[in-house]
Amino acid sequence: MDPREKALGQFISLIWKNATRNRRRSLLTVASIAASFCLLGVLLAIYVALFISRDESPAGSRRLVTRNRISLTQVMPISYEAKIRQVPGVEAIMAYQWFGGVYKEPKNFFARFACEPAQLFQIYPDYRVAEDEKRAFIADRAGALLGRDLAAKYQLKVGDKITLKGDIFPVDLEFNIRGLFDADKNEDVMWFNIDYLWKSLPADRRDFAGTYLMLTQSAEDSPAVAQQIDSLFRNAQVRTKTESESAFAASFVSFLGNVKLYLFAISAAITFTILLVCGNTIAMSVRERVREVGIMKTLGFTNGEVMGMILGEATVISLLGGFFGCVIAYLLCKAVSGASGGFANLEGMTLAPWMWVTVMTAAVVMGTLAAIWPAWGASRTSIIEAMRYSG
Amino acid sequence: MSEVVIEARKLSKTFKRDEFEVRALDNCDIEIKRGEFVALMGPSGSGKSTLMHLIAAMDRATSGRIAVLGEDLSQFDDAELARWRNRHIGFIFQQFNLIPVLTALENVELPLKLTSLNGKERIAQAETALRLVGLGDRMTHFPRQLSGGQEQRVAIARAIATDPDILIADEPTGNLDAQSASDVMVMLQKLNQDFGKTIIMVTHDRHAAEYATVIRHLEKGELKPEVEYPKKPV
Ligand SMILES: Nc1ncnc2c1ncn2[C@@H]1O[C@H](COP(=O)(O)OP(=O)(O)OP(=O)(O)O)[C@@H](O)[C@H]1O
Ligand SMILES: [Mg+2]
Repeated sequence: MDPREKALGQFISLIWKNATRNRRRSLLTVASIAASFCLLGVLLAIYVALFISRDESPAGSRRLVTRNRISLTQVMPISYEAKIRQVPGVEAIMAYQWFGGVYKEPKNFFARFACEPAQLFQIYPDYRVAEDEKRAFIADRAGALLGRDLAAKYQLKVGDKITLKGDIFPVDLEFNIRGLFDADKNEDVMWFNIDYLWKSLPADRRDFAGTYLMLTQSAEDSPAVAQQIDSLFRNAQVRTKTESESAFAASFVSFLGNVKLYLFAISAAITFTILLVCGNTIAMSVRERVREVGIMKTLGFTNGEVMGMILGEATVISLLGGFFGCVIAYLLCKAVSGASGGFANLEGMTLAPWMWVTVMTAAVVMGTLAAIWPAWGASRTSIIEAMRYSG
Repeated sequence: MSEVVIEARKLSKTFKRDEFEVRALDNCDIEIKRGEFVALMGPSGSGKSTLMHLIAAMDRATSGRIAVLGEDLSQFDDAELARWRNRHIGFIFQQFNLIPVLTALENVELPLKLTSLNGKERIAQAETALRLVGLGDRMTHFPRQLSGGQEQRVAIARAIATDPDILIADEPTGNLDAQSASDVMVMLQKLNQDFGKTIIMVTHDRHAAEYATVIRHLEKGELKPEVEYPKKPV
């Protein structure tokens, strides 16, 4: 750029006036950018919640999950529990099983796990339950323990009965709600006794566990303990895969499909769409102003300054779009995390400050990139040509 | 005391469009001295606007030489020409050509944004220019809120805002009614006589031309010898 050229800051007010001169079109452009980048923000938040964020609580980083190496749908013999308990560094272990099922209607979705009640409170030391409720839950084979908010949402209380229609398992189970718990996170969960599930199944389907949940003695030990557990069953008929609780949550989601690939594909499609939308809008608004470009150049504006102003305009519009996109994405993340029912790690899903910055930067980069071609074209138009332009 | 401010020698401009070539200006020689008010007349298509564009460095000649204020314009690159224009030339168009989203004051301030003046100085200078053209009470009006005559006066204020040496007007009264046209002519005459601006004005209107000190004729791209000295109306 020519050193004598004026800094763009001199023209901010003019850039703003140009960006807002066609209010309806600018609003529509800002809205479509906002919609797309909102989606991008949500995808980013999902991605981070699923694949990157970790439960940083002391207990969270000490929890390991062991599952069948082949697939989440395959189970492991119950005999593994005793063997794993022998591994040095394992403080507590519990068999647990995703039950699925339907409570009244499929839309009433929340996590339901069969577990070993006596061990549950060792593994989740942050669970706060009244002592008598805890005892009642452990004592009743048909007992159920619900997160307090979850119970409130379905207007359930201690003493109520709750029936789950099985889908993965061919049984309908009726439970007595014995207690409500408070926890630091993942409160939207219902726990019940795995024994109750086993007893209701045909003999050949009993005595298995889909997953084992362990608490290690220290977070630093966890990776080594995980390795040791898996090596224990290296030559067994059913091999295992042990990973941290949050890594497991991610693989649980991946099991639903190649989520990572979908996320990237959607993001790429959005980005490309935005490039076209922005490029088209800027090209349109520039075409209407070719004559003004000629006037400005007559007054002494250089090609670089004209181009800078058009790019500045694109930046303003895409920055606005990116900002509103982030605001909507933030609200959506809140809604999703509230409705996730403790599913995978989605409860912790949020649009973190660095994501705001990332999304808004992406918006500005895309918007400005899209404007380069029309801006360059306009700035190169000779004064004579521009002034003859009657459009 | 007759410094030559515009000097063209064998100036030619050819427009090429597809196969066709139009010779808009053909070996034109011209000399304009400081303080002159030249009216340039001639039939449509004779190259008047083309000559104005070359003098104002808005376009480059195909051949020949043009020096304005002692500078050979062909020596400058585009960015240098832009700044040179900003400092030394005020251009007044037939269609006013104000920026519609800017107020009268902002329109006049626009060329000042390219100077080293700060915001306050720019506003002050733009206000002075607007008062000079008699629009002190229309500063915050947008172009669409002004009459044609007022718009053209804003355009004149914009042209003189940077205090350029040369004013170039291409049919400044072409879109105006008789009264507004004579207002504009009086204003140009005042700028010429009281402020010493050198003015070159293209016009089809004999009446307007009579405000000038010199009338020149352009025909088929060629400048006719200086023949006529108008009498100035009082
Ligand atoms: N950008 C251009 N491209 C092609 N031809 C052009 C261009 N500008 C001018 N011409 C041609 O050059 C010739 C001179 O044009 P110019 O505009 O200088 O005439 P003029 O004397 O100003 O006419 P008028 O009185 O109608 O404004 C005309 O034949 C015109 O068609
Ligand atoms: Mg003309």
